[in-house]
Amino acid sequence: MKIGRKRKAKAEIPTSSMSDIAFLLIVFFMATTKFDVKEGIRIVLPQATAEGSEQVQSLTLTENEMTRLQITEDGRLAVNKDAPRDYESGELDVLIQQKLKLNQQMIFKVITDRDATYNDMIRVVDRLKAADIEKISLSTN
Amino acid sequence: MANIKKEKNRDAFIPTSSMSDIAFLLLLFFMVSTVFVQEKKFWVERERWPLAESIERVPRNHTTTIYVMRDETILIDDIPTRIESSEDVFVSTTLIRKKEEDPELVVCFRTDRETKYGVMSDVMRQLQDAQTLVVTFETQKRAD
Repeated sequence: MKIGRKRKAKAEIPTSSMSDIAFLLIVFFMATTKFDVKEGIRIVLPQATAEGSEQVQSLTLTENEMTRLQITEDGRLAVNKDAPRDYESGELDVLIQQKLKLNQQMIFKVITDRDATYNDMIRVVDRLKAADIEKISLSTN
Repeated sequence: MANIKKEKNRDAFIPTSSMSDIAFLLLLFFMVSTVFVQEKKFWVERERWPLAESIERVPRNHTTTIYVMRDETILIDDIPTRIESSEDVFVSTTLIRKKEEDPELVVCFRTDRETKYGVMSDVMRQLQDAQTLVVTFETQKRAD
């Protein structure tokens, strides 16, 4: 009787679908990846000076040099000595442009009440930044 | 007469053997660059940030983030703190250390828009004490 020799099966890992799997994983990572970009309003704070220090100089600025924007606790805005009232963004833009016409180097001092919200302050600073103003001072009362 | 042979049409063939290598390279890139953001106990969701129009991008490499919650809890380096009195100087001491490590440090605020300004003012005062003067208030882009 003739006994046939068993042929050894060739060991092989099928790799044809490897790229499909890899692309599926890529799609997953692309869909779930969210680049954490930091965006916001940039401000440079003034240097801190100790009270009574020799570096502290008192300056008296006129309304032609500095505009006081006072934010009340309920979010209304008082410009210089005017009574506080609600300002729309457009109105605020017009006011800023008027002040800049008086003096291109105008300093804007934003005085926010401690009980006003952070959003109220950002709303005003955003309009100042939109007008390309860099001389912004932040303070509270 | 010369014998003119008909040119055989060659089969169009795109080599795909290296496709999986390319795919795995891309996969590797996404795997390395992905950082899964863990939900923290203290967190200010993007939806809670204020809206603004004139925003600018901040390069990430010199930034540190301070979270300020609506209940006036401040989170810096994943450590919650509060400023109740002038003796609470955790923010300034942390920033002094960070400023020594990176002199170009920029502080980014992720603050809930309903937070009272008083706490922000206190934090900024401590920033000034730490000579960390460049700050960014993170905002959402206002859709016009």
